Parts: sequence; C-alpha cells; structure tokens
Amino acid sequence: MKVRVKLIGPLVYEAGFSEKDVELPEAATVEALLAGLALSQRRPRIVTRNGRAVVPQEILEEGDRIAVSPLYSGG
Amino acid sequence: MHGWTGSILRVNLSTKSHRKESFSEDFARRWVGGRGFAAKILYDEVPPGTDPFGPDNKLVVALGPIAGIPAPNTGKAVVAAKSPLTGFYGDGNLGTRVSEQLRKAGYDALIVEGKADGPTILYIEDEKVEFLPADEIWGKGTYATNDHIYGKYGAGVGVLNIGQGGENLNRYAVVRSLEGRAGGRPGMGAVMGSKLLKAIVVKGTRPIPQADPQTMKALGFGDLKEVGRIDKETGWSIQSTTGVLAWCNEVAGLPVRNFRKTRHPEAWKIDGERLNEARIATYGCPNCTMRCGITIRDREGRESELDYENIGLLGANLEIFELDQVGSLNYLCDEYGIDTMSAGCVLSFYADAIDRGAARGDFMFGDAEAAKKLLTMAAHRDGELGNLLADGSLRMARAFGRGSEAYAMQVKGLEVAAYNCKFIPGQALAFGVAAIGAHHREAWIITFELKNTTRESYGPEKAAKVIDLQRIRGGMFEFIVACRFPWIELGWGLDNYPKYFNAATGLNWGLEDMWRVADRIYGLIKLNYLREFPNASRQDDYPPAVWFDPANADTDGPIAGKVLERDKYDGLLQHYYDQRGYDQRGIPTRATLARLGLEAEAAAAEKFGRLT
Repeated sequence: MKVRVKLIGPLVYEAGFSEKDVELPEAATVEALLAGLALSQRRPRIVTRNGRAVVPQEILEEGDRIAVSPLYSGG
Repeated sequence: MHGWTGSILRVNLSTKSHRKESFSEDFARRWVGGRGFAAKILYDEVPPGTDPFGPDNKLVVALGPIAGIPAPNTGKAVVAAKSPLTGFYGDGNLGTRVSEQLRKAGYDALIVEGKADGPTILYIEDEKVEFLPADEIWGKGTYATNDHIYGKYGAGVGVLNIGQGGENLNRYAVVRSLEGRAGGRPGMGAVMGSKLLKAIVVKGTRPIPQADPQTMKALGFGDLKEVGRIDKETGWSIQSTTGVLAWCNEVAGLPVRNFRKTRHPEAWKIDGERLNEARIATYGCPNCTMRCGITIRDREGRESELDYENIGLLGANLEIFELDQVGSLNYLCDEYGIDTMSAGCVLSFYADAIDRGAARGDFMFGDAEAAKKLLTMAAHRDGELGNLLADGSLRMARAFGRGSEAYAMQVKGLEVAAYNCKFIPGQALAFGVAAIGAHHREAWIITFELKNTTRESYGPEKAAKVIDLQRIRGGMFEFIVACRFPWIELGWGLDNYPKYFNAATGLNWGLEDMWRVADRIYGLIKLNYLREFPNASRQDDYPPAVWFDPANADTDGPIAGKVLERDKYDGLLQHYYDQRGYDQRGIPTRATLARLGLEAEAAAAEKFGRLT
C-alpha cells in the first residue's frame, strides 16, 4: 500500500525530502514507517495521520497522509 | 544585594527632570524584574481610569537579574504601560541592546512619565540624562530612525524607537529595536508616541553587578555555545518558527480567511521551506546563538524579516500566498512600527465584515496591494477608515455592529496570534486567560493537546498545562528576563535558569521559587484588570464567539463538523479558575491573594472592585 509522508521543519533536511509517497506492506504501523525514514531518534516529535496525532503502534491504511514534525512549542 | 543594580531611573518628560531611585531587597525578591517590576510599578503608580494616551500613563522598561549578562538569550527587555488597546496592564518583550546597556548604566528599570513639549530623543549615559530634539526624525519609519541614531551615537548603543504608527497613536503600535525586533503588542509604541518620545538611547559603561562573576562567565559562555551546538544539530533555525505553518496546515490549526478556515492548499507557498529558500540574511537578538529572524527580499526589493506569526496572519489569514508580498506587508508593519499580528487580524476582520455586509468597502481577501494601502492608512490614521483600522478589531466591531464582534479575532481587545483554535480547546483557553489578552507568548499547548491528550477533551489536564506554561513562559522568562526559545524549541533544561539567577544574585532559588513569583504577578495583573473593569466577568476570558459557531465548522478535513462547545469551554475555564484559586469571575479570591502575599494590593483594588 501507499501512504503520503509530509515532513515538517528541520526534518526535511535531515531526511532529504519534504513530501513523497512511501510504499509499505499491508497493515504496516506508524513505527515501521518511521523506521524507514532515516530520521534521528534523539529529538521528540509528533506524528499525525490525516491531521490527528497517532501512537507508534497504529496501523496505517492505503492513502493515509502522515506528517512528522518536531514538537514545536508555538514560538 | 547582588545581581540587581538596585536602582531605577525615573524620567519626567514634562519637566525634563530625572531621578535615580533605589529599591529594596524585598521589592527585588517579590517582583524580581521585567514583567514583575513593570506590573508592580504600574499598579502602584497608574491609577484606574488613567488615559492611556495622557501624560499620567507611564512607560516602563524593565530588566531582570540576568538581563544583558552573556548567558543563553538574555538580550531582552520588557516594555509596559497601561494599554490603549485593552485598557489595562499591557506589556511585551523585545530583543535589544538596551538590556545590556541600561544595566551597564546602573539601572534595572526605566520609568518614563509626563509628555514632552516636542518630539524628543531620551539619551541616557550612566548618570547623564538628556532630552534631545527629535524633529528631524519625527515622521520617519523605524529603520530610518534606527540608522539616524546609529549614525549619531554609534551602533553599539541600546535603542528603543517608534515609527509612524506610534506617533499617530495607532493602538497596536509597538516599540522597535535593532534590525527587526519589536515588542509591546498592546500599544506600547503608541504610549511612547503620546509622550512625543521618538526614541530612547542608552549607553552604559560599568560592569553589570553579579554575585559570582566567575561562575556566571563560565556557565554563561559555555551554555551559549552549547545552545548554538544543539541548534545546529537539530537544524531548528533553518526554518526557525516558520516551520510550524506547514504543521498547522496539517492539523487544521492555521488561520485562513479571518480564521474561518483552518487549512489552505496554497499554504506551502509561504511556508518555512520557501522562506529558507528565499533567505538573504538572518538576524537575531544580543546574546543569542539560535537566531530566528529569517530575512527575505520583499516585492519592492527591501529586506523583510519574518517569523511564523507574520506569515500566518499577514499571509494565510489574508489569503495572500505570494511570499514577497507577505514580506512587503511585514516590512510596512515593521517600518511603521505596528504589530504584525494585530495588523493581520484587523485587515482580515475588515475583509470579513465587508463580505458579511457589516462594513462598506471593496477590500477583499487575497488583495496584497490594497492591504498595503490599508496598513499605511492605519499607521497614519489617514481619514475615517485609517482611524477605524488604527483602533483595532474590537473597536471596529463595535462601530460596525451587526453582530460583527463575534468574528473580531481578539480577547480583551488584543488580537489572537496565528493559531486557529476553532477546535483546539486547550489553546483557546490559553488565549482566553493570557494575562494581557490573546497572546501566544504565555502558554502554547497545541502539540501537548494533540499528542498527550485527546483533542476533544476539556479536562483539567489542559487547564493544568496552561498554568504550568504561564508560570514558565509568562512568568519566569518574563521576569528574569530571557528568551524562552532555548527551552521551548531546543529542550534546553529549565533548571539552568535558576543556576544563572543564583550565580547573578547569590540566592539559592529553585523553580518552585520562580513559580511563586509568577503566580504573584498573574494575580497582580488580574487585580489591575479588576480595578479598570469592576464588572469583570468570566465572559471576558472567552475566545471569539465564531469559534463556537457550528455554521463556521470545517466541511472536510481532520475537524470536519467540529467547533468549540460553549458549555464545555466554560467547564474548562472553571478548571483553570479552581486550580488557580480564582473566583467565578476569574479574579483571585481573598485567600489566594493572601497566599500570594498580595494583601496590600488587594486592599488597593477593593476601592474599585469587589473581592470574594
């Protein structure tokens, strides 16, 4: 299945892309998706699926939009 | 007493006189500095009913025990006065060399009283105070004013100045400093203008007093370097605050079309990636190693320094998605010295009111050229429309009528920052109970709400988080005085700040001591509000009514069909009041005031308003 991944802020430069489709096996989790993105684990982040925050174990579906962002604090 | 200079400089523009006053150790420990000093001085010296534009209002510039010392992000000052926008205590902070220079001159605060008999530059050099004519720069913008002052006094001096917005008493005129710094959203620049005070220039030549200069030096320089290293490691300042625009667009939290929409397909055109690509320079405050001022070339070819609030409110919220045009609107606000956030909300409200038949005019969302003209009119109070726009969205709504106050995006008269809380209950509360009106500076809990709670919750955990952040962001960082960014954006440890404070003062404070001072300051600002508005009610702590309007719900996306629920918001507000020890109106109870050590201030308040 295919999901759309959008990276936010400095993660764009860390992973080397801003937004792209990612191919995943059926029933892949958020955690599995993140593991393939070459992002540092050192900093806290927030992951949303179609605009709603998710936990790492959540199972993804075809066509999901996943945004990965640093844990911004609103300036 | 270490850490503090122990002195305040009081200047009277009417009599062209000045006095150096000392303050007690008790005063220093109770109020610490910055927002604490400013709130206390204005409470004691500016009685309720004072005309914000009259000579009896006072402008306070206040610093703290670590202000100006080389340590992470200490190059800031608090500017405060009775606000002409909100009618009670108002303040803001900005990056400025005044922080270091005023302390080197021997003062922890400056109080400006009276009104000059002509445009004036106030020049302070240690004990020397001069009242100099400002005729040749009156009428000029903040960039030309800054250049003029640097040309005359050298670029190392501390400068606070105003543009045409402040001169013409635009109610959301700010105080400006350096290349792109601004502070005092609720009209502190207009208070300077009302006093015919074009600029304050400060030069100090003495060392800043510290209890343990060796420790401070080692800690401060080492930590400045470390903060810079973390910034580089995380890449935060590549997009700085502007990275959050793309995220808000993902989670339906972006202000679009006067906050009626929460997302926009063209938002990417003005986001942090595009800003970074367009960057021609980066500016920052003194003592900062994570500079956040991304500067681009605007449509007219000028340098314009942008942050998230600027692109959010002068871009997305006006449906202007050409980055150089957003840069132009931002440049004009900075040049005129008016608040970009309020300006964005004022223009979006005007377009919305025209759309809904509440106002006459032809201004439309997306029209950048018309927006430029309107900003110029607002800064100069040009004609009937300029006068209206200069008064802020609440006064505009009262003039328009027809229910338009519901979508004037403000709380207590101060316009909302660039976070659309149509369905973000905790952040709506944060705006509702911010000390001076809808400012994002004091508590921002959106990532917490989405990640650690459910978005739909109106539970006590959200009220508790707002209070936690008010103590840290609206409290400690505003009274010690330092920028919150190393902590909030890079995770720099909060416990570092008591270390800096203790090295400067010789005290042995922990974070709990900081929170006590923070709560005292919040309590005092509430008393200030009660004195000015004896009929204060919990309705004053509600966000704009349009966020409760089901007809305004998104039709698709993450929050389709959802808006804030009034009864649930009221419950959340009650959680906040209960945890704070405030009464049903949101005013601290007598017991709370006693616990905060505010008995004398409470007695002063009771002459004007009721306590429970």
